[in-house]
Amino acid sequence: MLKLIAHLLPPELYERLRRLPDSVHAGLEEIRIREERPLEIVSLDKSGFLTEDGGWSSNPQQAFRPSGELCRKLLGRLTGHSLYAMEEELRKGYITVTGGHRVGLAGRTVLERGDVKAIRDIGGFNIRIAREAVGAADKLAQQLADAARRSIHSTLLIGPPRMGKTTMLRDLARIVSSGAWPDTAMAGWPGRRVAIVDERSEIAASVKGVPSFDVGPRTDVMDACPKAEGMMMMLRSMSPEVIMADEIGRPEDAAAVREAAHSGVAVVATAHASSLEEARGRPILRELLHDGAFSRCVILGRSRSGFEARVVALQHAAPTAREPTAARAAGEAGT
Amino acid sequence: MIKAAGAVLILLAGTMIGFLQAARFAKRPRQLRELIHGLQRLETEIGYGYTPLPEAMRRTGAHMAEPAASIFRLTSDRLESPDAPAFEACWEETLAGCWPGTAMRKTELATLRRLGSTLGMSDREDQLKHLRLAQQQMQAEEDGARDDQARYEKLSRSLGILIAALVVILMV
Repeated sequence: MLKLIAHLLPPELYERLRRLPDSVHAGLEEIRIREERPLEIVSLDKSGFLTEDGGWSSNPQQAFRPSGELCRKLLGRLTGHSLYAMEEELRKGYITVTGGHRVGLAGRTVLERGDVKAIRDIGGFNIRIAREAVGAADKLAQQLADAARRSIHSTLLIGPPRMGKTTMLRDLARIVSSGAWPDTAMAGWPGRRVAIVDERSEIAASVKGVPSFDVGPRTDVMDACPKAEGMMMMLRSMSPEVIMADEIGRPEDAAAVREAAHSGVAVVATAHASSLEEARGRPILRELLHDGAFSRCVILGRSRSGFEARVVALQHAAPTAREPTAARAAGEAGT
Repeated sequence: MIKAAGAVLILLAGTMIGFLQAARFAKRPRQLRELIHGLQRLETEIGYGYTPLPEAMRRTGAHMAEPAASIFRLTSDRLESPDAPAFEACWEETLAGCWPGTAMRKTELATLRRLGSTLGMSDREDQLKHLRLAQQQMQAEEDGARDDQARYEKLSRSLGILIAALVVILMV
């Protein structure tokens, strides 16, 4: 896993990390570097510290502490020695690098008229290693298949952070866009034009406009674009059959989702909530769940055996003015 | 006979030293001008093109005459090497390597070093400010260098010959 980000790390840090035990390497999720403080490693959802000799320990006292010099080297590599070319990224607080990995930054912010303009004196890095899980949504896709339209149901994926919402969304985009449905019953379904509005560059992890991940051959990505605006732009200009967006939750997002749903475009979106009840407790999501914008809801969670996905058919989906095929599909819902 | 040969050698050496000294006076303003052009180009690359530093340095170096060109080119090479240190270290290393080959002085070196500690480390506006400041300082140095050239270029040439002649006369 470490090899994926070798090009980002100063050689001395890479050498140290390379000596970590194999089990840690295999599950490597995050490397958290804080200037002059213990270097934290998150692997398989467990946090620990890198020791001076490249070991793994839960005791921060023995941990390796990266120097300011090392942090500046790292920053130079991440930004191509050019902070000025990364203003947009610095305003948002993270950089997406080739391979889809993302580096969160912490430091002192520079304000301009109350808005964050940039981060300076950067002393905290969180390197999150992106793993493309092709096939992660195979099982889920079968349950979300809309036989009437030979496409995917409008779906809201909910779950707490780090439960694989974005991973699922990305893999669904690949399946729908390439028409590679994992079930023989769906063989021969055409690939659909998918539009991804990737506000936080997490779904496709585009670098200079080109997706780092496989999101399918018929997929357009609007990178770093506000969701509501992006959805409307895509609807107007790219004639999508499916629109995907991450973490909806603002009123304007809901309006855009409705707009898309009413023009016959399937919407697949994610939202933060740990259960359907909690989602219903949020006014915006409750409206969307009840007024037929979505016909399926997927609740993602993690159990002892791994990730879990539960699909709920939303019964209220039928009455709104959608295409008759969609209404029929909602009628026979009950998977 | 040997005395005459020695006298000729001394005269030749003196003249050479004088001419070399004069050439330094002539070269300094030219090199300073070249560097100012380089900084202006860098300003454009950073300010309007948002070009990352290694690329900006390479492009700047490609359009300039030596020895200023190699300052930019070598820095860019260092930045792009696999175990590149932070920009400031690359810059310092290049300056230390290139400086003896130029006709420029410590004051210019100090200006460039100060610039090196800020390049790439802040937002665009800040970068432009630092680049402009460095240009102004270089400009002042260039004006001074031109005065020096007018005043000392011929003087050091004739001084070389005259001192050599004086030594010869004293020896005879």
